[in-house]
Amino acid sequence: MRFNLDMPAWKWPFYIMRHPFEGFEDLRWKKAYNMKVALVIVAALFIVSVCSELMTGFLHNYSDVKIFNIVPIVIRTIVIFFTWVIGNWALCTLFDGEGTMKNICVNTAYALVPYIIGQAINIILSNCLIKGESAFITFVSYVTILWTGVLLISGMKTVHQYSIPKTIVFMLITLLAMVVILILLVLLVSLFQQVYVFVYSIYTELLYRFSNLEPTALIFIFIGVIVALFAIVIAAYTAFEKHQIAKERKKLNS
Amino acid sequence: MPSIKRIAVRVTAAAMAAATLMTSVAYADEPYTGYNYDWWGDPVPSQNGYVVDKVYTGADMGVGALSEPSDMFFSDNEDLFIADTSYKPTNGTDTAKGRIVVTDSKFNLKYTVESLDLSGIQDWLDYKQSELNTGVLSQADYNKITNTSFNGPTGVFVDVDTDDGTETIYVADNANDRVVAFEIDEINDDQYKTAVGKVTTVYTRPPSNMYDSSVTFNPSKVLVDAAKNVYVCIKSITKGAVVFSKEGDFNGYFGANRVEATGEVLLNAFWKLIFSREQAKRMRRSVPVEISNFDIDSDNFIYTVTESKSAETDILKKLNSAGTNIYTNLGYSDYTFGDALTKWYRGQTYSSQITDIDVDANGTINLLDLKTGRVFQYDDECNLLFIFGGIGQQKGTFNIVNAVESLGDRVYVLDGRKCSVTVFKQTEFGAIVHQAMDLFNRGKYEEARGPWEEVIRRDSNYWFAYIGLGNAYLNEGDYETAMKYFYYNSRSGYNDAFKSWRMNFIRDNFTLFAVIILVLLAAIYFISVWRGKVRAKRNAERERLFKEQNKGRED
Repeated sequence: MRFNLDMPAWKWPFYIMRHPFEGFEDLRWKKAYNMKVALVIVAALFIVSVCSELMTGFLHNYSDVKIFNIVPIVIRTIVIFFTWVIGNWALCTLFDGEGTMKNICVNTAYALVPYIIGQAINIILSNCLIKGESAFITFVSYVTILWTGVLLISGMKTVHQYSIPKTIVFMLITLLAMVVILILLVLLVSLFQQVYVFVYSIYTELLYRFSNLEPTALIFIFIGVIVALFAIVIAAYTAFEKHQIAKERKKLNS
Repeated sequence: MPSIKRIAVRVTAAAMAAATLMTSVAYADEPYTGYNYDWWGDPVPSQNGYVVDKVYTGADMGVGALSEPSDMFFSDNEDLFIADTSYKPTNGTDTAKGRIVVTDSKFNLKYTVESLDLSGIQDWLDYKQSELNTGVLSQADYNKITNTSFNGPTGVFVDVDTDDGTETIYVADNANDRVVAFEIDEINDDQYKTAVGKVTTVYTRPPSNMYDSSVTFNPSKVLVDAAKNVYVCIKSITKGAVVFSKEGDFNGYFGANRVEATGEVLLNAFWKLIFSREQAKRMRRSVPVEISNFDIDSDNFIYTVTESKSAETDILKKLNSAGTNIYTNLGYSDYTFGDALTKWYRGQTYSSQITDIDVDANGTINLLDLKTGRVFQYDDECNLLFIFGGIGQQKGTFNIVNAVESLGDRVYVLDGRKCSVTVFKQTEFGAIVHQAMDLFNRGKYEEARGPWEEVIRRDSNYWFAYIGLGNAYLNEGDYETAMKYFYYNSRSGYNDAFKSWRMNFIRDNFTLFAVIILVLLAAIYFISVWRGKVRAKRNAERERLFKEQNKGRED
């Protein structure tokens, strides 16, 4: 049976969901990558994660609802998603992968649709089922996660035009790359914190030295000193450049 | 006629006087904050179930100062026995230390015991003399076990015979390596009303073929069951309590703790599979932590506690006569006792060290925590009732707690450093909780509803009240209210209530569900038929177009 592939962009994820292997090939063939739909799916993933934290029935909810913190959920969904995209792109570009950042992003997002649907079903089920019937919930989540896994492999395979073993190997390496990226991020954050601490300690030092001054005045002085330092550096650089030009001219003249 | 101004002045003055009177009503706050644990295991502020009534020192009892008392016991005749461990008798020898102080429940002195009379057991003395002569027993050991005074008694127990009412006092005479059982005949009429204990039995170190000769025998606590078996708690023994028969024969050990499954133990178990017998012998042996104290209830169940800082399992055990713990083996996890969290503060780790236990006639368990000086009160199903006490210098706080006892609605705590007994009395709130819990544990959920509602009215943080109310409504068949009370208070209770509620909901709305399902099925059927028609039409159209396009080529 032939399918009409001239469908609106929002229908593609569902089409791909029903055709794990052919779907991504069709998507590639029709060049129907749509970033907007992908971002909507990521947003949906985030919303569903928040909902499953808050709305899962009491009998099946083992998260600590006493303290609701959105930061871990943001990291678990949005940050991890984009780290995956960046890591996979950075890695596979070096190893003959044909996917662009946009294509990888779209394929990964489309692959997540079954997981999102499974989570949504589980939120509803958890409010209807008792503790002894939790096997249904486990079943739904296992099936959807497996489905998402299959879609992800297929999507990565298509977007990079790899063989399946190569795809799986590079997906595993991508996980390592993600770890590296996250570690570097943490490092960067702590480094900036150090810089902040350094600046702040200078500020407090000045505060002690000139304790008769207003703190606000000190801030202005501090900013002034930094600007002056910059000005000196820039002035020195310009003078150096002028000197160079003059030298050149002299050479040319002589 | 007084002017309005004067009336106003009088009214103001009266109001001010009333205000001063109201504020000057004596109000004593407790030196500790009552708290309890909620469903998440977080500590939450709570009402006090017990407040300090009075503190009794040795002088209040009329026996001079106590000196490092380490144990106390309420006999069935409601007399209080205190083991005054480091007391020095005025004309005693070097090896005479300690006494037993006996008062009634109002702390009026009855008598004190400083010395013993061994003449009633001449046969035993002769036997020990013969052992000394043959060299089985050393002179030092002989002197110890035949000492006519105590040497640091650390445990006391009183057995009142149910038939003839004779009161036998058992004392764990720590440094004398023995447990002595004695009776009191006459009381002298001197300052401390001293009495001489007529010894009936002496329980000493078992023969070396049954008891490792390298292990010391320093009894710290003692206990007697209904069959007059004597259980001796010894800190150096990890196999449990040493059990003697009534006559003083060694019967074996009772109630050892389990070996905690730490990483080292698991690794050793793995190596033992591989090693040869000689290699395995040289490995460090994994031994359980020793029990540190025990108590016996009216049904002859023995409760043991473990004081060790590092121990996490078997903190409190309820043992039947076969030595099986009833408080574990529930299928999922052990209970936790004492403070739930290990806290680290200023270089010191604070985790509960349960040093003594008391079980009262209703089965209410009082655990005494050495580290925090707190008493943790549980009901007989191990539900936490109250936490009170603490470390400090005020009334109601302690330095080194050594023993806890209870009588009626009062709890008595013995402080070994302050050398005093603190009496806690139950508050009104405590009485309501106890009444509610008692009804609840007897299965009278509906009767318990009133008290539980009162508990919530006074302290909405009291977690167990919600379970009590939930069960009351569940029993009545009001599942929706039951669910409301069980929500984030009891998962199993909510499960039961929700199951019944769902059943009722489906049964009541069956017609609606049936109609919805039928309509849905019909809708699906008609939509699929319609889509099939549309698709057929479209395909026919395509076919026609295809044929039209290819018409020219065929020609």
